[in-house]
Amino acid sequence: MLNPEPSEEARRVARSAARWLVRVESGALSEQDLASLQRWREASDLHEHAWHNAQALKGRFEALPPAVAMATLDRSKQGRRQLLKGMLGLAVVAPAGWLATRELPLAAWGADLATGTGEQRRVTLADGSVLQLNTATAVNIDDRQRRVSLIRGELSLRLANAQPLLIETAHGRSCLRSGEIGVCQDEIACEFSMFTGFADLWPMRYSALALRAGQRVRVTDRGVGPIGVFDVSQPGWREGVLVALDQPLGDLLRDLDRYRPGILRWSPELESLRVTGSFRLAEPDRVLTVLAATLPLEVHWRTRYWATLVPRKKIV
Amino acid sequence: MIDRADSNAQAFHQLYQGNRSWLEQWLSRRLGSGHDAADLSQDTFMRVLAGPQRIVDLAEPRAYLMTIGKRLLVNFYKRRSLERAYLDALAQLPEVYAPSPEQRWQVLETLHALDDLLDGLPGRVRRAFLLSQLEGLGYREIAVRLGVTERSVKRYMVQAYEHCLLVALC
Repeated sequence: MLNPEPSEEARRVARSAARWLVRVESGALSEQDLASLQRWREASDLHEHAWHNAQALKGRFEALPPAVAMATLDRSKQGRRQLLKGMLGLAVVAPAGWLATRELPLAAWGADLATGTGEQRRVTLADGSVLQLNTATAVNIDDRQRRVSLIRGELSLRLANAQPLLIETAHGRSCLRSGEIGVCQDEIACEFSMFTGFADLWPMRYSALALRAGQRVRVTDRGVGPIGVFDVSQPGWREGVLVALDQPLGDLLRDLDRYRPGILRWSPELESLRVTGSFRLAEPDRVLTVLAATLPLEVHWRTRYWATLVPRKKIV
Repeated sequence: MIDRADSNAQAFHQLYQGNRSWLEQWLSRRLGSGHDAADLSQDTFMRVLAGPQRIVDLAEPRAYLMTIGKRLLVNFYKRRSLERAYLDALAQLPEVYAPSPEQRWQVLETLHALDDLLDGLPGRVRRAFLLSQLEGLGYREIAVRLGVTERSVKRYMVQAYEHCLLVALC
């Protein structure tokens, strides 16, 4: 029933075929390169076989309707991991629509509190501390241990009294001693931002540090970034807005994408357009309309959920 | 040889009689549906019958059934989540683009096969690969979309191709 472990030779062939494919796709190959690719293919039947397989694979993708296939195969891990929930022996409840719940990971199913894409929530903990969840976020709350575990997404926590609260993340824990902290976690990093007060930080496998109001630090598996500063008075997601101050449009769109169910794409030419403004997060599609009205771009809707931004055509 | 085949058939019979309803219940608890559980339980026994393992040699028959059952559950959920995503995507299409039932079935089968193939790839690698294959984006564009360097995209693409080719070569 189990797939056999691939042989060392199969691995070697697959790897060199993969490298050749990427070289071909990433741009101009010289005559010499092409000749050497040809020699590689002819060197062994296995090479030629792998090369053929790769072309067949590409053909299968090409035969698919792109929009539908993208939406289906690029569905979040939540969709793919729902199966694990069955493994854990929990009852299965089918989500109403995958768009509503996409992006929530496995652990989020068992989480105490969660938001879907585009949702925000605010709750008051037993001791009066205020916990706010941003889009696509899941947390576990242990009132007795005074601990909040961020499974995924972004939260802010404002302490109500002198009793510290612990925040656990995949990249380390933080002890909030006073004031308010923001924590944002994605697949590769966790960012801690101190709005007011101070906190201790124990990054996984790295030495502890202290964070004060206005300071921000990013922690990954590879290490702890430099402590930066930010403007605590600038409104943000906690106020339901996205603020851009002369920043590249690409950054804004990547941020907006977190709040919007569906697919958002844009032409590379738009990436570095400068944008300034304050946008309401409750209506991400309206943000696109506003951008189209103020910047030289237009929005193409492939489906209700798939928006593509392209440069506006010049009137000749 | 005949004796061995006979004793194996008899052992299978006993395995089936003794464990079918237990397995069905076990699956049913995980699926929340008796109907699907009955189907999957039949599938499980079919796999046991077709599998390389001689049934008479099984020390822990229920553990073996559970191992196979779990694997089938995984496939079942994966198929279902993919089908749901596919139907949702279709629902977003204007009427004129609606494919015929045959086309749907064909596309769905291809999607299943490719979904299985991409299984196990990290999220970014999978997305980079899909953007390249489905949307035909160049590496530079993919880098911009994902907010990573072009070098990372190349690394992702090598990883994805290697993974897919390895599955095909085995």
